[in-house]
Amino acid sequence: MNGTTESYIEIINLSKSFGSHKVLDNINLTVNRGEVVAIIGPSGSGKSTLLRCLNFLARSESGEIKFQNRSWSLNSEGKRYKGKKYEKTLSELRSDVGMVFQNFNVFPHKTAVQNVELGLIKVRKMTKNSAREIAIKKLEQVGLGDKINQYPDKLSGGQKQRIAIARALALEPKVMLFDEATSSLDPELVGGILEEIKRLANTGITMLVVTHEMGFAFQVAHRIVFMDSGKIVEVGTPDEIRNSQESRTRAFLSAIL
Amino acid sequence: MRNSNYKFDWNVIEKYWPEILKGLIITIQISLVGMVFSILLGICLANGKLSTNLLIVRISTSITELFKSIPLFVLLFWIYYGFSLKFNFALTEFQAGALALGLTGGAYMAEVFRAGLLAVPIGQLEAAYAIGLSKMQSSILIIYPQAIRIIIPPMVNIYIGLLKGATIVSVIGVSDMIYVARYVSLETFAPFELYSLAGIIFISLTLSISGFVYFLERKLGRSKVDG
Repeated sequence: MNGTTESYIEIINLSKSFGSHKVLDNINLTVNRGEVVAIIGPSGSGKSTLLRCLNFLARSESGEIKFQNRSWSLNSEGKRYKGKKYEKTLSELRSDVGMVFQNFNVFPHKTAVQNVELGLIKVRKMTKNSAREIAIKKLEQVGLGDKINQYPDKLSGGQKQRIAIARALALEPKVMLFDEATSSLDPELVGGILEEIKRLANTGITMLVVTHEMGFAFQVAHRIVFMDSGKIVEVGTPDEIRNSQESRTRAFLSAIL
Repeated sequence: MRNSNYKFDWNVIEKYWPEILKGLIITIQISLVGMVFSILLGICLANGKLSTNLLIVRISTSITELFKSIPLFVLLFWIYYGFSLKFNFALTEFQAGALALGLTGGAYMAEVFRAGLLAVPIGQLEAAYAIGLSKMQSSILIIYPQAIRIIIPPMVNIYIGLLKGATIVSVIGVSDMIYVARYVSLETFAPFELYSLAGIIFISLTLSISGFVYFLERKLGRSKVDG
């Protein structure tokens, strides 16, 4: 997929180790604008770490990440960003990249609407009133219009995850990252959140989705990345992956589907 | 006091309670100043212990362990007499007392703060970073407000310890409640009555504070810290 003018996110030779264990081993991937990419693979294959590297919650040791041809890993002199100045760059990047976590990570000391408006006020520097207006709108979009003043501990896992999605979307991110967003949910709540993600995918936002929900991945994604032991084994359309001749991909899919 | 001729004279209380009350106010004042100092020192030491710089971690840990292990009585003498003798830098009795309480309390506060900060799940910090908040904003807006719920009950318990520890400052001449009780009993020969009064005041004070902590724990417990 290299060379298209639409290339939006470029991951180049990305590597990361925990001690002697290589979690990411020379990852190369290009994502186009508006593309939905599902990352699948066995536990410990590095898919979550790859996602976390994209908004720098995990730091890669070597390699580079580019958004719209601008490097987020290296400064203009080609050195790895460091120190206080880097923090501002990071903040800028992260507010453009929304992330939804497996464990929701909603702020328990803030109401639903406070969760959502926080980034607008503190990062986007909006006034309280306009931030609240947007926050309420976003909560209504995810079906929580009647829960805006509730604290998270009064809400179900599915509702918490909806707050988290609204919180990320409020900042109008250019890219959304979903890190096993349904893995901590009660089974009857999974469908609702998958619907939410699917609806989002149809809006044309660029998304990377790490998931164990194979049916969902094959239905929603434009391309599927199969990872194993820190390496990308294969990238392809859902049909290509489903009919893959690669033995590791076949083994994984036949064990799961 | 083994003298069987000792006669209880509860009238001294009626006569001297304004003095005792003045002493009580000094006791509360010195313990509160000590507490403020404890909190500030505790925050610094806790952040030092959680630092990624190994040297800072070691220094903070050493300071914590040192002041936790020095008896308050000895620390008080070192600060009050040691300072003025060695460095020709005289602290008032009150300042020396508050400083000693603050150093001891700060060592305990450091542990409480550290545990409180660590009890907030790491996912909270990640979520704060993910919406673009800076390190400072994440600490102030997300981590500290959640940690404080965990910290307040043990923090108040440390205060109770400081309040009782404050009785020791009378040895360097701070006119706290115990000092007044001793002073008055030299005049009236009624130590038992006066120390009992001081004891009863302390018991009612600490019991009310404990009751307050219990109330807080129940109230704060309702909004638990979780993802």
